[in-house]
Amino acid sequence: MLKTTPFHARTAPLCVSHAWRRWAGHVVASSYELTHEREYHVIRAAAGLLDVSPLYKYRLRGRDAARLLDLVVTRNVMKAAVGQVLYTPWCDHAGKVIDDGTVARLDEQTFRMTSAEPSLRWLEDNAAGMQVEITDVSDSTAALSLQGPMSWPILESMGAPALKYFRLAAATLRGIPVTISRTGYTGDLGFEIWVDAAQALPLWDALIDAGRGYGIMPTGLLALDMARIEAGLMLIDVDYVPARKALIASQLSSPFELDLAWTVNLEKERFIGRQALAEEKARGPQWLFVGVEVDWNSLERLYQEVGLATRVPGAAWRMSVPIYASGEQVGYATSGAWSPLLKKYIALAHLRAQWAKPGTPLEMEITVEHKRKRAAVTVVKKPFFDPPRKRA
Amino acid sequence: MTKPDVIIVGGGHNGLTCAAYLARAGKKVLVLERRERIGGAAFSEEVFPGFRFSVFSYVVSLLRPEIIRELELPRHGLQILPLESTLTPLPNGDRLVQWSDHDQNRAELARHAPRDAEAYDEFGLLLHRMARAVKPLLRTAAPDPASLRPGELFDLLRLGRYFRELPEKDLHALWKLLTMSAADYLDEWFEGEALKGTKSASGIIGTLLGPRSPGTAYVLLHHYMGELDGVFRAWGFAKGGNGSVSAAIAAAAQAHGVEIRTNAAVSRIRVKGGRASGVILENGDELEAGTIVSGADPRRTFLGLVREENLPDEFVAAIKRYKFRGASAKVNLALGELPRFTCMPEPGPHMRGAISISPSVDYLERAYDEAKYGEFSRRPYMDIVIPSMLDPSMAPPGKHVMSIFVQYAPYHLNGGWSDARREEFGDTVVNTLAEYAPNLKGAILHRQVVTPADIERIVGLSEGNIFQGELSLQQMFFLRPAPAWARYRTPIHGLYQCGSGTHPGGGVMGASGRNAAMEILR
Amino acid sequence: MSDVLVIGAGPDELVAARLLQQAGHRVTVVQEHALHDRVDGWAPAQLGGLQTTRPDPWLRTNDGLELFADVQRSAQSIGRLSARDAQRWPEFCERMARLAGLLEKIYLQAPPSLIDLRFALRVRRLGRRGMEDLMRVLPMPASELLDEWFESDILKGALCAFAVRDLQQGPRSAGTAFRLLHAHVGSPRGVFRPGTVDVAPLRSGLTMREAQVARIDVRGGAVSGATLANGETLPATIVVAGAHPGRVLGELVEPGWIDPDLVRAARRIRSRGVAARARLELERAPQWPTLTLAGTADDVERAYDAVKYGRISERPVIDAVADGAALDVHLQFVPHTAADTADIQARLVKVLQPHVPPIRRVSVRTPVDLERTYGWPQGQPHHAELSLDQALWMRPLPELAGYKTPVAGLWLCGPAMHPGAGVIGAAGYNCARAMQKS
Repeated sequence: MLKTTPFHARTAPLCVSHAWRRWAGHVVASSYELTHEREYHVIRAAAGLLDVSPLYKYRLRGRDAARLLDLVVTRNVMKAAVGQVLYTPWCDHAGKVIDDGTVARLDEQTFRMTSAEPSLRWLEDNAAGMQVEITDVSDSTAALSLQGPMSWPILESMGAPALKYFRLAAATLRGIPVTISRTGYTGDLGFEIWVDAAQALPLWDALIDAGRGYGIMPTGLLALDMARIEAGLMLIDVDYVPARKALIASQLSSPFELDLAWTVNLEKERFIGRQALAEEKARGPQWLFVGVEVDWNSLERLYQEVGLATRVPGAAWRMSVPIYASGEQVGYATSGAWSPLLKKYIALAHLRAQWAKPGTPLEMEITVEHKRKRAAVTVVKKPFFDPPRKRA
Repeated sequence: MTKPDVIIVGGGHNGLTCAAYLARAGKKVLVLERRERIGGAAFSEEVFPGFRFSVFSYVVSLLRPEIIRELELPRHGLQILPLESTLTPLPNGDRLVQWSDHDQNRAELARHAPRDAEAYDEFGLLLHRMARAVKPLLRTAAPDPASLRPGELFDLLRLGRYFRELPEKDLHALWKLLTMSAADYLDEWFEGEALKGTKSASGIIGTLLGPRSPGTAYVLLHHYMGELDGVFRAWGFAKGGNGSVSAAIAAAAQAHGVEIRTNAAVSRIRVKGGRASGVILENGDELEAGTIVSGADPRRTFLGLVREENLPDEFVAAIKRYKFRGASAKVNLALGELPRFTCMPEPGPHMRGAISISPSVDYLERAYDEAKYGEFSRRPYMDIVIPSMLDPSMAPPGKHVMSIFVQYAPYHLNGGWSDARREEFGDTVVNTLAEYAPNLKGAILHRQVVTPADIERIVGLSEGNIFQGELSLQQMFFLRPAPAWARYRTPIHGLYQCGSGTHPGGGVMGASGRNAAMEILR
Repeated sequence: MSDVLVIGAGPDELVAARLLQQAGHRVTVVQEHALHDRVDGWAPAQLGGLQTTRPDPWLRTNDGLELFADVQRSAQSIGRLSARDAQRWPEFCERMARLAGLLEKIYLQAPPSLIDLRFALRVRRLGRRGMEDLMRVLPMPASELLDEWFESDILKGALCAFAVRDLQQGPRSAGTAFRLLHAHVGSPRGVFRPGTVDVAPLRSGLTMREAQVARIDVRGGAVSGATLANGETLPATIVVAGAHPGRVLGELVEPGWIDPDLVRAARRIRSRGVAARARLELERAPQWPTLTLAGTADDVERAYDAVKYGRISERPVIDAVADGAALDVHLQFVPHTAADTADIQARLVKVLQPHVPPIRRVSVRTPVDLERTYGWPQGQPHHAELSLDQALWMRPLPELAGYKTPVAGLWLCGPAMHPGAGVIGAAGYNCARAMQKS
């Protein structure tokens, strides 16, 4: 049997589409309504409420908790302030990404780490000789993500403390003790709320109640997928193969190759993968992870040739699509979507470094009426959509 | 039939496979089977009215997909139904189920040991890589590293180059698999006793070795081997029982013109001037052919069908020390109702998979300890399937057949096997299983117990070894069955071997038969 | 010239230290554990004439079997048990000596690579029989090897005792034939017991200090010295460590410098000690130099069965070597967790009493004691169990088989390294030579 999340008693009756998706061994709504469009717009216009409980969550506590995390992840955890959240990848010794997630400093000696893959073994193995207690709190901690411009007014109305981008604080919402972090996976103003699993349902009810006047709406993963592509955020297993699952060397990616150079802190004397990453930095990465934008006119022409009106994907896609430069394959896109907001067809792509500069004109494979064609695309800077309210 | 080109002694699945490939290449082939039926150890029979059993071999583990394809076995009636899960009931009333669904499996493993759930994927990935590395070895004859013959040297160099091109890391991992015990190997990865017990059990099947005996880790690979061939589940059973595998291969062989004669026991292979020239049947008939292929095991072939004086002393010595030591038995039960396992009493998908009595490595090792000194295990390891769950034709409606593969039942039992000892062993098996499924005893309508002595008597496998000789390191690759004679050839010109007693051997795999045919056609 | 720190003062470390000192380095040896003066093993000539004593007969059972360095004399003794075995003994000795000869060569150099063509050619030079022996015999269970040759249970049982020595395996375990050959390496033909070597001369001329190392210091991926338990720092550009690789890479070097996967592998190198050692003081010197009480191969196997489940053998395998009016006793099998000496002592006395002069005093050291005294991890003198998966190119791990670690300037040279304990100083010799090459 698959697991359900602590919110299942609420989400199940709301999921009128009966469209569920697996996420880390759980079932979570793909979309609640029959189509996901409204849920997408809620994220950008009001407040979408997402059940993100399937994330793996670990609590690290003890004198060496910071030291352990600093050893494991690429960013500097020793310098993280209490209440700060770091987004970071972590690597194996060869500097290839194993997973990415967040590290939140709850107090001087306590951290919460989230990951996409189970990570207990990796953390424990690297903690030998350290004073740190690692607890898997994946099942005991439920999590909701409230994303969109109205997310703050809703929380504010419930008495939540103001938070800066990537900060977190403990709070009490309608009598329920929670931790709120100003984080998310939509590239918008948004928060994630962490709660003891036993209090999950009251928290859901409280948020729905408080958000009623602000257009809150339960939102599924299909809408989230579109939002995260607009935000230029990569997804494990879709945009990269984690090092532990790679069958061959070419499937591995370094943080540099995933556009995460900013997370690699080579000033730290020691962390797992440092030496390999320092060498790669000196050499320059061979691949880069970029955004590409499909040229509308070019796309339109391809459809016109066969006598059809231009079509765009209704939902985000996840597959490998070749990208060419003057007839030769120079990379591949791994996710793409039509952005209803930007009115652009966008994709996230891995390109050989020399072709990855913003503005580079390339071609991407598009299948039109059973035939493989190539549409003009341009390399652009990520994120595709970056509203000031995200950090304001 | 006019004089055949090739006579194959023994109509087991390897003999039939070999025959089919030779006939496909245009040879006139005659298969002689001692018994009244073909199939060797892979045969099905209505043992009790309405209840059909795969009497001996019961699962299709690694039947080479190229054989299924090339001989078009599905056209001849073969269908393999997948075994999707493995249930390990535990003495404390809990259980471990290994599911084919990744998420479901991970959740179950995590329930027992969270670290195991994480290690499992990585372990699988490594073994997948290893299986890929080993696979070419299964498809070809094993070259003799001591040979100076140009052909063999060439093969050796090719193999050497193949291995040199593998990442060194993989070679070392392979060495570990070959030299370690399943228990030690699994200890490096896992904590859960039930998981380690059940996984290590695959390393002891068919051998008189325990999970702590070095050399048992290698067989762990076999579970991953099938997946490489694009087969969704590597393990399953043949619709209609394992006899259908033999029947399908026989039908394919006949379609290519092979003649199969049953009740045709060969008493001797005729050798003239170092050359095999024909066979003499027990009824005195003599049949001639330029090529004779023996599907019988090495002991029966070289110490029975051929006179020792026709063979070099060294070779005879090697065959004499070749180990059989059968240790596996079968208990076949006709059931009036499904067993209800205390740990999972409701009928469910777990009943369509395997059920393994292997709660820990220590449990298996203790079972081995007894067998080591010539006793059968008082609390044996069992691998159980209920074929009627997937193939209702095996039993009357609402009733079931249960196939229990048991270890250890040593061939060399102190005092020897007798009818009384056989039934005593059957009771032990049923009593042990009833501890996990209390309704079992009441559900039994009929019981059939097959000991290694029975297997030897009925099918002719020496010492009842289901693999025609133990799959231990000194009897594998170019050492199987004897150094310098691992390429299906024998010291007698024109006499070949094609049974499981040759490389790669083991299981209902057919690789030996196919490889032998390729070697003969070379 | 550079500063070299050698951690550990076993024969391997001392040999490495001497060679490095001869090469002009300033060498300091940090002695962490009690010193040995007499070590069982083969002292290769390269180490410069260490004194080896060999009991003769090297094996004597209570059933009157005696095996000598003189093959014919052994055959006579065997003849009392089986004429057939007596006849086969010389040929057995000849075949085994050939294989041991190959091991001798391999042992005095860095382990061959699994795919080394030169190694493959050397193996082919053994000829068909030698090659088959090597490939067939090494992975064999000792009991099967001996069954192929002999019929006397007493002879086979006694030899089995040497095939499982310090190994958590019984004679029916594959690879114990290799262990038997390991015991034969460096000994005269027909002798399967290593001699006893006086290693004290290895210490002369070396700077030694007693201390516990708390940390091996690393700066920018290269060693910079070591910090002692008392906080003192000893700078060095080369550190040669004889301790268990799991301790060196997993405890002494701070995390982050070495691939965590390698550290994990180093930690799980199997190191279970399986024997207790005892010294017995007797009323008078015994009439014989050695006494091996093993019984049959099955008795040895049964003794092993107990340790699988964490118990001391009911009838342990006992091997005693006389030292004047005292006996040095090796008692196997004892689980590595055993700490209680009373139980072991009782079994030892019970088994030994009928065969020795009156016992005055017994002192037993359990695997736990041996770890404390000599730093043998879990009481295992080879540090890494000498099983086939941890031998040759696999010793102690393929990534470390070249004595080099991923930390620049940090080298490994202890018994866990190829060829393991039993070839005195060879790991140190090979390590120092590997260092000089690089």
